[in-house]
Amino acid sequence: MKKIKDYLPWIVYFVFFLGIVVVNPGTHYIHLVARVIIFSLYAVAFNLLYGTTGLVSFGHALFYGVGAYITGMLVKATSPEFFLLYILLGAVGAAFVSFFIGLLTLRLTGIYFTMLTLAFAQLVWGLTFKLYHFTGGDDGIQAIAKPALLSGGVTKYYLFSFVVVTICIYILWRIRRSPFGTVLNSIRQNPQRITFLGLNVYKNQLKAFVISAFFAGIAGGLYAGLDGSIHPDMLHWPTSGNAILMATIGGMGTFFGPVVGAGILTGLEEIVGKYTEYWSFYIGLVVLIVVLLFPNGVLGIKRLGGSKNNEEKETEVACNSGN
Amino acid sequence: MKHKIISLFIIAAILIPFAAVQAAETIKIGALYTMTGRGGQYGKDSEVAIKIALDEVNAKGLPGGAKLDVIITDDKNPQYAVSVAKRYITDEKCKFLFGIISTAIGLAVTEVSKEHKVIFVGTDHAGTDLTANKFQKYYFRSANNTFQSMMAGAYYLKDEVKNWKKIAYIGPDYAYGRDQWMELKWGLDKLGVKYEVVGEYWPKLYEPDYTSYITAIMKAAPDVLVNGMWGGDTVAFIKQAKPYGLFGKMKYFHVDAGGNYEALAGLGADMPAGIIMSARHHNNWPETPANKTYVDKFYKAAGRYPSYAAEGAYVGVHMIAEAIRKVGNANDTEALVKALEGMKIQCPEDPQGFTSYIDPKTHQIVQVQAIGTTVKNDKFPPAKYMLGNFKVYPADKLWPSFEYIDYMTKVKGK
Repeated sequence: MKKIKDYLPWIVYFVFFLGIVVVNPGTHYIHLVARVIIFSLYAVAFNLLYGTTGLVSFGHALFYGVGAYITGMLVKATSPEFFLLYILLGAVGAAFVSFFIGLLTLRLTGIYFTMLTLAFAQLVWGLTFKLYHFTGGDDGIQAIAKPALLSGGVTKYYLFSFVVVTICIYILWRIRRSPFGTVLNSIRQNPQRITFLGLNVYKNQLKAFVISAFFAGIAGGLYAGLDGSIHPDMLHWPTSGNAILMATIGGMGTFFGPVVGAGILTGLEEIVGKYTEYWSFYIGLVVLIVVLLFPNGVLGIKRLGGSKNNEEKETEVACNSGN
Repeated sequence: MKHKIISLFIIAAILIPFAAVQAAETIKIGALYTMTGRGGQYGKDSEVAIKIALDEVNAKGLPGGAKLDVIITDDKNPQYAVSVAKRYITDEKCKFLFGIISTAIGLAVTEVSKEHKVIFVGTDHAGTDLTANKFQKYYFRSANNTFQSMMAGAYYLKDEVKNWKKIAYIGPDYAYGRDQWMELKWGLDKLGVKYEVVGEYWPKLYEPDYTSYITAIMKAAPDVLVNGMWGGDTVAFIKQAKPYGLFGKMKYFHVDAGGNYEALAGLGADMPAGIIMSARHHNNWPETPANKTYVDKFYKAAGRYPSYAAEGAYVGVHMIAEAIRKVGNANDTEALVKALEGMKIQCPEDPQGFTSYIDPKTHQIVQVQAIGTTVKNDKFPPAKYMLGNFKVYPADKLWPSFEYIDYMTKVKGK
């Protein structure tokens, strides 16, 4: 019984994201869900830092954007045949950048860490904007071709994105449930105790930072293929803010919360934007309601009574027993 | 039997008008405009102009009694605009994509147009790329590109501005600002004008304080200062530069967006006299019945005078309607493309004896360019100065320039 409960989010995940192909509500909605699933990976990767490790990065757009730009520029420079390889290279590039940024920013904590991540992201955004002949400046880069296998209809690319994202999310899920994930959880709850246990907080945070950036880079690369165009907005601070919003709305304390948050934010943007130009007002209103009434996010509603999920209980036991 | 026949007649009498109403198709155009923030005024003006054009087009009638309708969505950013464009095509069944203020968003949406083989009429974004190195056959533009403005500017500098050699440029640090400078220099070189660049200044878009740039320009002392800003940036720069006496010490030259009514209205009495400007449409030129009617209709509908963005939207709707009339329906995209190629379209900005046309090879509207200087004129309040002393440059001298397209392709890539 416990097993089924543990895997229930996965069942819902598969039923929803594969069911949409069976139901086939039309090209536009498949494209919309493709955006949701890519943003889901971005948000889940971000939440490894935010919800699990307790680090509020306000510069995650940097890694998402670096992944997108490396993938897009490699496709433009060569050919789309090695698209998957380029996505991987984009993710490696994002991880590489994050390693150096992490080395510097993780020396700080709290708001100072947040501000420094924002500063680095804005720096790279500015460079992307200014390096007119290399990155296309504010015009970005268009006509990023997909390999023949993924061209012709959005459903093929959606299924490709689904497979890639599902593998990535599964890896992140395993990481969160691994001893390393438990350490990250414990760092969020009591970093001093982790130090007393003989573990290095800084090193573990850096590992989480790089892993998170790697998967955010994959999300960026996937998005470059979805629309066939990239632009500096992908590295701008609102994109970083979106990751925080998705995790917060969905529930940063739960693994699948950011997936729900990505769905809600993308859906809201779509529905509200269709009827009014004051879309940001309504999105702000929803965030306000969620933060005030459901501080644990949509998936955290069941925990309003104060009961903790298994993961938190296990972490607390691990911390208290010194395991 | 008799009763049956009567019943059939009654049913037919009820159903026939209903069927006729059903047959009258509504042809949807999916538009994207910046409706909020600094570029929001352009979107709002375009919306008013679209409504005026729709009334005219639907009153004149379309084949099969069809009606044109336009849906407008705030475009936010390229990522969102692409998603909306796809929704327009696949979900809302729009036959045309339309509008867009920002070239960056235009470039992203033109890819959607190409992928789905749906005609996209760009009405305001001016980046030359879309009708040059990034050309695709389903894209058409109903307003000037920056090359047309800057090439006319190069002619003006050659013929009308005497005894100058030193030139400096200030423009927003993004593609729109960078391209204008590249295009003007290319035009001057092409015309064999000898000049010396004494300064290039790249403030960021929406820069609130230009003081440091103004003092640097004063120190460089160019004979001609070229400005590539638009909207509120123009207003802020001119207001801040005036106390330094900048306009008395050099020729100020601002020919793509400087003379836009938005800036003339924003500056009011603060606008210096005699500075060289232009825009893609002027409310007071040409003094033709068509332009007067268009400006009056806009004023009646909105209670204000239009910025140039409105004319592009107005012309764009008429272009689409004319193409549908030629083809007889809105479903044959390839035939519509053919109908638009080379189409002659009378625009409010056309002077007597000239009709704008769509260049069949680049799908760019080809129009005359009128450059003027600021003179006192309070007939279009709140503006206290309008442009006058116009010099008019023939359309075919400005576009197409395949030599420049080749140069641009080499510099910016396909």
